[in-house]
Amino acid sequence: MKELSLNILDVTENSVKAGAALTQIRLEQTAEALTITIEDDGCGMDAETVKRVTDPFYTTRTTRSVGLGLPLLRLEAEQTGGTLTVSSRHEAAHPTNHGTIVQAVFCTNHIDCPPLGDMVATMVTLIQGHPERDFLFTHTRPDGPPVELDTRQLRQILEDVPLDGYEVLQWIQGYLREAYAAEDAEE
Amino acid sequence: MTVRELIQQTQWPTAALPAADREITGVYMGDLLSWVMGRAKESDAWITIMSNNNIVAVATLADTACIILAEGVTPDPGVAALAEQKGVNILCSPVGAYETARLLSEYL
Repeated sequence: MKELSLNILDVTENSVKAGAALTQIRLEQTAEALTITIEDDGCGMDAETVKRVTDPFYTTRTTRSVGLGLPLLRLEAEQTGGTLTVSSRHEAAHPTNHGTIVQAVFCTNHIDCPPLGDMVATMVTLIQGHPERDFLFTHTRPDGPPVELDTRQLRQILEDVPLDGYEVLQWIQGYLREAYAAEDAEE
Repeated sequence: MTVRELIQQTQWPTAALPAADREITGVYMGDLLSWVMGRAKESDAWITIMSNNNIVAVATLADTACIILAEGVTPDPGVAALAEQKGVNILCSPVGAYETARLLSEYL
């Protein structure tokens, strides 16, 4: 995909489909690398499935025989000299502590590294699409203070107000845009 | 024209030819696989320099007539066997993507 944020959206949608109550999206950016970690508490996968998820001819879809979400993310990461790792604990074997972790490392100085894209729009899209689920988003970066959003905290403050209300989504968008615009105080 | 006829015209080597009688009705050119997925049309000849097993998946999904690897690129190990298994034709053009497309436009 032309932007990594679209991959993040794609992987997180899989977490939602796996029944995750909380999905953590962590971006750790240094001068040389961007590590994207998506960790959910969904139903998880067994070891055999984990081995096959980066095979393009494996898919959970029943409407077609090809699934390219993780295969393409892996290709994009490896094209920059990075890696993709997937680990999972299936609910059948781990009834209280299950879920999946997808981690992609991109070497950001490589010419084939795609741009990150608009993470603010990505988070707003996720919350709007799944207001009943929780997302913890953190983005640490070399050129500014970390950007953080925890929908569990929002829920506590808002009490019964749904997260997909127009004003709430507008507020989230403004809050994230402001956080991204903030200069590092130490500089 | 069919893939077989194209090969007869061009003498391009093939890496996999499980469906030689597929009709080619158009041409698509591109290397960003997620982009190609949504844009290449059924029965297109798809010109690319990407050579990993994901191209077989994209060709299956878009139902292209064949993949043409340009600039003398050859498929990665295992890709030709996968393509045979999935019914995807792979041709190897020794010339660049533009020249490959230009030749196709002459024959189609």
